[in-house]
Amino acid sequence: MAKKTYDLLFKLLLIGDSGVGKTCVLFRFSDDAFNTTFISTIGIDFKIKTVELQGKKIKLQIWDTAGQERFHTITTSYYRGAMGIMLVYDITNAKSFENISKWLRNIDEHANEDVERMLLGNKCDMEDKRVVPKAKGEQIAREHGIRFFETSAKANVNIEKAFLTLAEDILRKTPVKEPNSENVDISSGGGVTGWKSKCC
Amino acid sequence: METEQDEVAQDELGPEIALDKDPFQLTVEDVYDISHIVGQDLLKISREARGVSSLVSDLQFKIVRVLEMLEALVNQSSLSAEELKMERDNLKAEVERLLKDGPQMGVGPDKMVIDLTDPNRPRFTLQELRDVLQERNKLKVKLLVAQDELQCYKSGIIPSPDDQIVTLENESMITCSPRENESKEKSTVKSLFSFKQGKQT
Repeated sequence: MAKKTYDLLFKLLLIGDSGVGKTCVLFRFSDDAFNTTFISTIGIDFKIKTVELQGKKIKLQIWDTAGQERFHTITTSYYRGAMGIMLVYDITNAKSFENISKWLRNIDEHANEDVERMLLGNKCDMEDKRVVPKAKGEQIAREHGIRFFETSAKANVNIEKAFLTLAEDILRKTPVKEPNSENVDISSGGGVTGWKSKCC
Repeated sequence: METEQDEVAQDELGPEIALDKDPFQLTVEDVYDISHIVGQDLLKISREARGVSSLVSDLQFKIVRVLEMLEALVNQSSLSAEELKMERDNLKAEVERLLKDGPQMGVGPDKMVIDLTDPNRPRFTLQELRDVLQERNKLKVKLLVAQDELQCYKSGIIPSPDDQIVTLENESMITCSPRENESKEKSTVKSLFSFKQGKQT
């Protein structure tokens, strides 16, 4: 029997207003790089990153959604299969913070009930342009019983920590399986038929 | 009944009322009434004073000329009023037609007008975008799986023993042979039904 390259597969989803930095957050995590040019995500994209937690190799398939309203019917169909959702706002953009309740409602409507949620206040390197105090982010996260981090994709602040924390929270809920019984189907909703990565 | 009474009343009042009218309410008939009154007066004058008849007839020509001018003016203004009324009615009908057809022409509320000459105009449906994205992501998954697998071989995690190669060869033979049969069958069918080809495609 051939060896697998990972033990578990988690599907994560990034949501939030257009331009808050979802793609940059993901790019920093997956490629440890940052690009200032803003290219609006078309519909939905994903990246893969394998991490090791508690001696387990966990493949993270992270779906990056377009924040623009016009893609919402496409992006909401990807909520259902997600095991963890990162809701990102921009600390320099009050509107993106106000819209958090709208995004949380979207999660309630379209995602699995037991999905792990996390709130990220991105662009925390831009202190001079901050309009959302950290305390306000902490407060809304507390109200909804979810974790909160202020991040900066540009300055590489809390990015890895946020992803690893979310993955740990999911891992905690995941029933322990024998190494070879892993059958995580991450395809639901995404249209990707089967992640039958039987490497070798 | 009423209109008849009105007409009688107007007849009784005589043509003199035309002189009391608002100039902007004048009709051609009123002008003719005025012409009649003035003519009658002039006739009276020339009857009673024979000596001034030539003067009166001179005056008569001038008055006739003025009345002709008045006739032309009244005629024209009533005509243009009539024209404006017709134009107004036509425009009203046009507006009603546009309001009715509007939504179908894509100019109603919640509708968008697309400039067909704009090379960057919207062309594809949301479903088409969804399909393309799904296919892209599917291929991306396949690529990543293939890359993983390649990495496994490169790093020597999977040795490539002979039996595996044999398996691969067997598999490839299995997958190959039905295709060959299929293509042979197809070509036979093709040759048999070649006359139908044009219709089918």
